[in-house]
Amino acid sequence: MSNIALGRYIPLDSLIHKLDPRMKIIAMFFLLIAVFVPAGYPGYGVLGVFIVSVLLIAKLRLNFIFRAMKPMAFMLVFLLMINVLVLRTGYVLFSFYGFTVYSDAIYQTLYITFRLALMIMITTALTATTKPLDLTLAIEDLLGPLKRFGVPAHEIAMMISIALRFIPTLIEETQRIMKAQASRGVDLKEGKFKEKIMAILSLIVPLFVSSFQRAEDLADAMEARGYVPSATRTRYKQLKRTLKDYIMLFIVLLLLGGLITLAFVV
Amino acid sequence: MPIAFEKVSYTYAPGTPFSYAALKEVDLAIEMGKITAIIGPTGSGKSTLVQHLNALLQPSDGQVLVLDRIITHADKPKQLKSLRKNVGLVFQFPEYQLFEETVLKDVMFGPLNFGVSEEEAKKRAMETLTVVGIDPSIAEKSPLDLSGGQKRRIAIAGILAIDPKVLVLDEPTAGLDPQGSKSMMQLFTQLNRQYEKTVLIVTHDMEHVLNYCDNVVVMQDGKCVTHQTVKEFFNDGKLLHELNIKVPNVLRFKESLAKGGMSLPEGISDLQTLAKAIAGRIKP
Ligand SMILES: Nc1ncnc2c1ncn2[C@@H]1O[C@H](COP(=O)(O)OP(=O)(O)OP(=O)(O)O)[C@@H](O)[C@H]1O
Ligand SMILES: [Mg+2]
Repeated sequence: MSNIALGRYIPLDSLIHKLDPRMKIIAMFFLLIAVFVPAGYPGYGVLGVFIVSVLLIAKLRLNFIFRAMKPMAFMLVFLLMINVLVLRTGYVLFSFYGFTVYSDAIYQTLYITFRLALMIMITTALTATTKPLDLTLAIEDLLGPLKRFGVPAHEIAMMISIALRFIPTLIEETQRIMKAQASRGVDLKEGKFKEKIMAILSLIVPLFVSSFQRAEDLADAMEARGYVPSATRTRYKQLKRTLKDYIMLFIVLLLLGGLITLAFVV
Repeated sequence: MPIAFEKVSYTYAPGTPFSYAALKEVDLAIEMGKITAIIGPTGSGKSTLVQHLNALLQPSDGQVLVLDRIITHADKPKQLKSLRKNVGLVFQFPEYQLFEETVLKDVMFGPLNFGVSEEEAKKRAMETLTVVGIDPSIAEKSPLDLSGGQKRRIAIAGILAIDPKVLVLDEPTAGLDPQGSKSMMQLFTQLNRQYEKTVLIVTHDMEHVLNYCDNVVVMQDGKCVTHQTVKEFFNDGKLLHELNIKVPNVLRFKESLAKGGMSLPEGISDLQTLAKAIAGRIKP
């Protein structure tokens, strides 16, 4: 469970790691828009090369990226099956047992695969290179202007950062309770259906209890130290934009513009 | 049917930037039918060590022998239940594992999992609850509504009810009141003397080691630095000093007396015998 790659921060020292998180989030949005620009395979090729080079500059190993994409493999198999069953356009590729597979089914599946892979790589490029706390700081800043319309920017950011903070704790806790129950004869892998339900209950109930307990303790501790969400506060860590950030954003916009031209003008 | 560690190493999260070698080539043989204390500073690998005893952790290298089973890195141990039935492990802070609606049901959970009949499980649960000092009147309460100390006792009862041959306890008395922790330690001694159970206790309390244990294992930085009888251990002043271990008060008092010229017979380890010995010296 501790080797989940999707969304995990990898502490390395690279140009991408040092960029301003706000600018990275904005760039990520533009890149995600770029994925949906219908520029065909050439467009995806360009985008793909761009993202892979960003990941390489960030010193991430490609093996890590593949691990991040693993969870979607199941979905893709499912998608392929549906496409093969439903899509009956294009030319016939082959048939077996009276079953015909059309080219569009494969083509369409590949298309979606590319899109998904690109989206995962783009988000990974952000989450793997930005500390979760920096991300929430950036989200708070970016949501700042919306405060006027009643959007609780600080509260949202606080909630996200607390949630992020407790993910490893929860994983640890789960492993500990699993071990403790295993010592009492719980077997999550073997056993009858009823035993399995019991096994899952013996894991979930203590996990819930301790989570609520922890949430309450945290709330008390925060209140005891005088935490008021709406209070104006200064920050220990100041986010700074530098020339590099603007250059990065400029390159991304250039890429987006190029893809739009490719799709609609050419 | 011994318990032995042979060059056992264990690494958490191997192959990642967070990897940590918690055990380093530990060689250790535990004497059956005795009470063995496992001591050592925080983070020295005590909890990691004891989790190998019922195969919750498998060694990264080397092998663990427990009751005619061999646990190594390579094999996917099957029928772990039979091992876990014989080696009961009480975790550090076991109160977080309670989940059933009532105290009684929670204590019955373990025995039922190991194939004990409903009736027998109930009988054992009532017995062990009494043994750990829980009033039967709260057997029908929710375990979540009890105090921390009560929860701890119930969790320990949950393992005792399984009736394992080997009982492993990871800091069972941490956070209990002095009286409670004393009666808990007496309970473990009784289980050892009366039912010949092999007991391993991870503890930070030297008084407990001196008063209740036969052997002592000292862990330091993932290695087993000494393993000897408690008597020898507390007589080895140089070693105690090297390991920076706080000597129990009774022994320190005896030592001061010896320095002042009153040498008492060896082997006195509890307050009462010491008092008697002193009284015997003064009166005549
Ligand atoms: N799940 C884990 N993942 C990574 N490292 C761990 C994990 N559990 C323990 N460790 C590390 O292994 C080392 C030994 O831990 P262990 O829990 O065995 O210590 P201990 O001797 O029981 O300490 P204490 O007296 O505080 O209970 C510690 O440095 C700890 O940081
Ligand atoms: Mg421990």
